[in-house]
Amino acid sequence: MIPEDFGRVGVLLAFALAFPALPLGVSYLLYITKIRPSNADPIKQATYECGVESEGSSWGQFNARYYVFALGFVIFDVDVIFLYPWAVQHADLPLGTLVKAAVFMGILAFGLAYAWRKRALEWR
Amino acid sequence: MSDQPLRRPATPMLQQIAARPTMRGTLLGVPLGVKVIGALFGLAFLALNAAIAYVVIDGRLDGKWYDFRDLGNAVESLRGWTEDEGFHPGVIYGISALLGGLGILSLVGVWLIIGPWVERRVIAKFQIRVGPNRNGPFGLFQSIADALKLMQKEVIIPRGADRFLYFVPPVMIFVPALLGWGPIPWAEKMAYIDLDVGILFTIAISSLGVLAVFLAGWASNNHYSLLGAMRTVAMMVSYEIPISLSLLSVAMLTSSMRLSQIVAWQGHYHVWIIAILPFAAFAFLFASTAEINRTPNDIGEAESEIVAGFYTEYSGMKGGLFMAVELGNAILVGALMSTFFLGGYTMFGLEEWIPGYIILLTKILAVYFLFVWLRATLPRFRLDQLMGFAWKFLIPISMVQVFVVAIEASVFARVTAPALFTLGAFAIVNLSITILLVKLWADRLGYAVIQHPTKPVLTQAVGGLRAAERIRKPA
Repeated sequence: MIPEDFGRVGVLLAFALAFPALPLGVSYLLYITKIRPSNADPIKQATYECGVESEGSSWGQFNARYYVFALGFVIFDVDVIFLYPWAVQHADLPLGTLVKAAVFMGILAFGLAYAWRKRALEWR
Repeated sequence: MSDQPLRRPATPMLQQIAARPTMRGTLLGVPLGVKVIGALFGLAFLALNAAIAYVVIDGRLDGKWYDFRDLGNAVESLRGWTEDEGFHPGVIYGISALLGGLGILSLVGVWLIIGPWVERRVIAKFQIRVGPNRNGPFGLFQSIADALKLMQKEVIIPRGADRFLYFVPPVMIFVPALLGWGPIPWAEKMAYIDLDVGILFTIAISSLGVLAVFLAGWASNNHYSLLGAMRTVAMMVSYEIPISLSLLSVAMLTSSMRLSQIVAWQGHYHVWIIAILPFAAFAFLFASTAEINRTPNDIGEAESEIVAGFYTEYSGMKGGLFMAVELGNAILVGALMSTFFLGGYTMFGLEEWIPGYIILLTKILAVYFLFVWLRATLPRFRLDQLMGFAWKFLIPISMVQVFVVAIEASVFARVTAPALFTLGAFAIVNLSITILLVKLWADRLGYAVIQHPTKPVLTQAVGGLRAAERIRKPA
């Protein structure tokens, strides 16, 4: 019963969005009734970086080393998702499929070893 | 006042402590009537238990709406009743969905109120302090006071922030913390969403948190926030793979991705999967501490390095929500850990007597205590060590483990020996493979252990302490 299940996911999602909105709403009510202060001030609204003036916007380039890990994640996660249907069914499948899965995982392991050898896994 | 002289000068507080009656004295001082009433209540409680035991053994309780061992029975009979009354099926479905959702919501809500108190008190015990004890009995109202204070705080939005995206993350980060509770079975018929792809759903939902974290860091337009967000994203993304691989071996062993079926498998064979797959359980536990940003892996919000990481710029209740969701995630991971590896709502037959949800709650709190223990014991890991640990240690060993489990699962499906022998043999084989691999890997990769602390170099260079003294006062 897939549609029934995911209808429930939708109900829970609505609850999940309403739950944090409640304290934020109370906070906003306090703002309307002037209980919560709101004194804007250019120094108060400056970017907080331990008292040092912020140098430029941070919406620029950032280090590429994060990118390499994200690439590795995409490759591995997609391949692991492909392994799941096999994992659930494989006790009933003939033994030959074990060899095929071994080849698939061997390719994955080779990729990991290659990345390791190329020092892509070092945090520099 | 006791007769023992106080060692320190008797301050009013010390006098109060000394004058406090002991537990034994309080019990002896209770008037006779109260004692008699208490004894009667105790007898009535025992009689009630005996009656319940009789009804349970007789099997009269099974499937009735007042069978509180499984609240799914009550919902089912409610559904049957509404069907008899001739309601629209959509209304019936909506009522049952709302009831379950409210149950999950109230569980998380209650935990967010008492959780901070529990965490701070337990941490205080570890550090030999008292912890919060001023607001209410034992300081129980501390988190309510905190919430009231946070809601009254001025909200400061930095000038450079992206005005719309800045408001999204505090709400969005609650989505995985609540949706993750959906597929968890609390008793045999008591799962909110009994998904046949429960494991995939869990993994998919848990990676939504990354998005909120990165949005928070990006929208703040603060260098520290962006740095914290990037670190957290890199770490969470890396630790997602050990989680998927360890759950892959669980799915392989039980031949199912349905969470209730995984628990039923453990209940059927009277074994916890942590005994069969110790490395998968360890990988899941460690990786999930990274996934929910708890110490020792809270590199994204390392106070001593980058202020508060990705939520540096969030003030008032928004910052409070970021801190609250961490606690909510902690018990969610506890629930997942107990469902996958610690037998879920089963407890070797005890679930016939005690409601399954109470057993699961006990296990969740036990895992949560483990988290607090880890937080009190371990220092924070360095980022390069963390990434190396995920990619060079957890992932290769998990892949080997997956393959070993694949062989074992095909053996398990084909051999007709008693399950006790096969599963016991698997447990022994897996444990020895784990120990062997961890030893090999650690020898190959780990830092060399320094056996003896080295002496200070300067003293040695001068020729030891005596030489240093001679230099200091020349004869």
